[in-house]
Amino acid sequence: MDRHSPDDLISQYLILQQPYYRSTGDEIALYEAAYAVRMPMMLKGPTGCGKTRFVEYMAWRLGRPLVTIACHEDMSASDLVGRYLLDAAGTRWQDGPLTLAVRHGAICYLDEVVEARQDTTVVIHPLTDARRVLPLEKRGELVHAHPDFQLVISYNPGYQNIMKDLKQSTRQRFGALDFGWPAREVEIEIVVHESGASAEVATKLVAIGEKSRHLKGHGLEEGMSTRMLVYAAQLIAGGVPPRPACEVALVRPLTDDPDMRDALDGTVRAFF
Amino acid sequence: MIARPAPAGAARPRIALPEVERGLGFYLRALFDLEPDLRAGAAPFAGRRDQRATIVNGAIRIPPGLEDGLTLYRATVAHAAAHLTWSTGKFPLRGLRPVQLALVGLLEDARVEQLALREMPGLRNLWGPYHVIVPGVAVSAPALLARLARALIDPRYDDPHPFVAEGRRLFAAGHARLGDPLFSRELGVALGDSLEALNLQFDWEAWLIEPAYRDDNLFLWDLGDAGQHSEDRETTYEAVAMSLAEAGEQTELERAGGEQAQPDAVQNDAAPVEGTASVDEALAQPYLYDEWDYLIGAERRRWCTLLEKMPPAGDPRAIDEVLRRNDETVQRLTTLIKAVQIQRPRRLRKQLEGDRLDLDACVAATLDLRSGRTPDPRVHQRLGRNNRDLAVLLLLDLSQSTNDWVPGAGSTVLNLAREATALVAHAMHDLGDSFAIHGFDSNGRHGVEYYRFKDFDEPYGERARARLAGMRGQLSTRMGCALRHAGHFLRARRVAQRLVLLLTDGEPHDIDVQDKQYLVLDTKRAVEDQRRYGIATYCISLDPAADEYVARIFGARNYMVLDQLRRLPETLPALYLRLTT
Repeated sequence: MDRHSPDDLISQYLILQQPYYRSTGDEIALYEAAYAVRMPMMLKGPTGCGKTRFVEYMAWRLGRPLVTIACHEDMSASDLVGRYLLDAAGTRWQDGPLTLAVRHGAICYLDEVVEARQDTTVVIHPLTDARRVLPLEKRGELVHAHPDFQLVISYNPGYQNIMKDLKQSTRQRFGALDFGWPAREVEIEIVVHESGASAEVATKLVAIGEKSRHLKGHGLEEGMSTRMLVYAAQLIAGGVPPRPACEVALVRPLTDDPDMRDALDGTVRAFF
Repeated sequence: MIARPAPAGAARPRIALPEVERGLGFYLRALFDLEPDLRAGAAPFAGRRDQRATIVNGAIRIPPGLEDGLTLYRATVAHAAAHLTWSTGKFPLRGLRPVQLALVGLLEDARVEQLALREMPGLRNLWGPYHVIVPGVAVSAPALLARLARALIDPRYDDPHPFVAEGRRLFAAGHARLGDPLFSRELGVALGDSLEALNLQFDWEAWLIEPAYRDDNLFLWDLGDAGQHSEDRETTYEAVAMSLAEAGEQTELERAGGEQAQPDAVQNDAAPVEGTASVDEALAQPYLYDEWDYLIGAERRRWCTLLEKMPPAGDPRAIDEVLRRNDETVQRLTTLIKAVQIQRPRRLRKQLEGDRLDLDACVAATLDLRSGRTPDPRVHQRLGRNNRDLAVLLLLDLSQSTNDWVPGAGSTVLNLAREATALVAHAMHDLGDSFAIHGFDSNGRHGVEYYRFKDFDEPYGERARARLAGMRGQLSTRMGCALRHAGHFLRARRVAQRLVLLLTDGEPHDIDVQDKQYLVLDTKRAVEDQRRYGIATYCISLDPAADEYVARIFGARNYMVLDQLRRLPETLPALYLRLTT
């Protein structure tokens, strides 16, 4: 029924250029070992610390296509596995992104998986144990996973919410890598590389980031992420003066609380 | 002679500490990773000294009404925090003359500021503008001190005086020793000799540290044996020692006074005890609960006796008063609640009616039509509100320790808990969530007492508020048994999410249990049992040492240790919203 050439469909997901990723430990070797046995992986860590970049890098390194699905509350199982569409002659089955990855041996990355409803996430269960199959109920088909297929999910453990948590039955199907904030020197290197800003500017921005992370749990849910620091550095490298750049890229997005905003502005001023 | 600067133009109105305290707390925590402890009112030092901040036992005491506004507050706390971070250890006072005393302090100020600037160069823009002294004014010891202070922080400042130049040179030469507090003392003593050689008058007691953001440096000195000096500087040292002793006593007195100043509140809390003693009876048959004994690895059957008791009624207006007093928080909550209600529309699929077609349902219907089956007519979708299908039981620890006074809050733990409860109840009520508020204490395994302030089906009205107002703290904390009883109520709720929010100020404890592990592990067991019934337990602990055990009991994600107790009333509702949306 599926008349598309598999190569066309899946090749667009190949990552051609090497993404920049700065290793902070032995996570690359661990991931490679996990991929070798096709172990489903869970990447844990705060937002903006490099989880997505890591998957892109690994997909490039392993030469596999990467199908990324940003999970959201309204996502249904058919958004993952596929659905019937109507056409002039009758109906046509359209594979969902997960099915696509399963058929063609891509790495399927479910970003922020807790955002999806729990009844949606269970469709991945048969894929994550020894069976490695995906039942397409509506179609009456059982898709056996391509030997190269691997499932990766990401998840922010700092996000406390009883309504949104990973079930044990889901968690225990994955190996997990913990991502934290990179060490100072490494984070400076990342900011410099990603933004083209000077090492001096990056050093200050990273220090501001570290200061803001003191406030986690004391007025802020999360400190400034590496991603935010890169944004600020990009603005500065683009000619914006440091203080407004930090306000726009670091302080204003982080909080609406006026006291906190002023304190963070003060923190920025302690460096610029 | 030394004018107070106004870095950004015109004079600003005075700002009282409470207006900026919260923001300053964030500022300190961000920059210095310090637990902010700011207090209004300088210690009562003689003369003009009360115009400067002072550091007492790690708390920064800020003089009343700094007219320069937020900037001066920031400069003051940042300087004090630099001291708290880098001024480690105290200098012995013995053998120092007044000028040396002043100079050692001045160099220590410069040293910690340099260390702070090394990391945070932008602080120069915060402190710099307050150094306004210029050469040329009449040469006096205080003026030279202020000029040296400026020379040490302001590289563009030019000062022809040989004393200032010497100080600057020696300080710069000791660059490598900045991390060593002894450097300040040695250099201060040496420079003191040079300054004395100029034969200038210096009256330590009348001297006011400049510029205005610097604290009085009294905390730098070890006054242990200050009284043993018998030379003419003795008076100086005695003044230091006495002021400090006075300050210490005053603090003690204030604390004691603070408690005495509120006898009414305390008595109000206690009053119902006598008045309602006769009503204080068991409401119903006692409940018997198992308890987990980790030593034998088994449940002790029907081990604990739980009695439900009628909570004494207080004055419901007290609860309304709480809402009035926290007007700002209530408003912020109302906004948050609206956001929760509005922001989360939910696509309701497969509806008989709706404002647009549900594509999946349409396709299914068409498939049915083409294959000759009867299609499902529910092909519409519409946006509906997110249905908050949850039941929450707020369980309060009412043990004796909740009567403890909270430093800096002017209130007891119980009062703060009550305020927080009133606010979170207000939020839950507004959201239309199904909620109950219960409390417990215990007196051995045969005497676990359980109070129901508000039940699930009961409206949150006068009576519930009156009971909340009347809650009091007594006896111990047998948590596991109370949690099991709370679970008993929640299990009866037919909802998708069930949550126990446990508010406690300490670890599980009871008079008949010596082994600390025992009740901790029983509570852990109770939490696990509840989870099996789909009841989540989240703990808000007010015990700063709670990290050791709460994670073990409740699981890594299911607790929060609140270190800023007085923030409880605003934290709890916000936490609740965060947990449940």
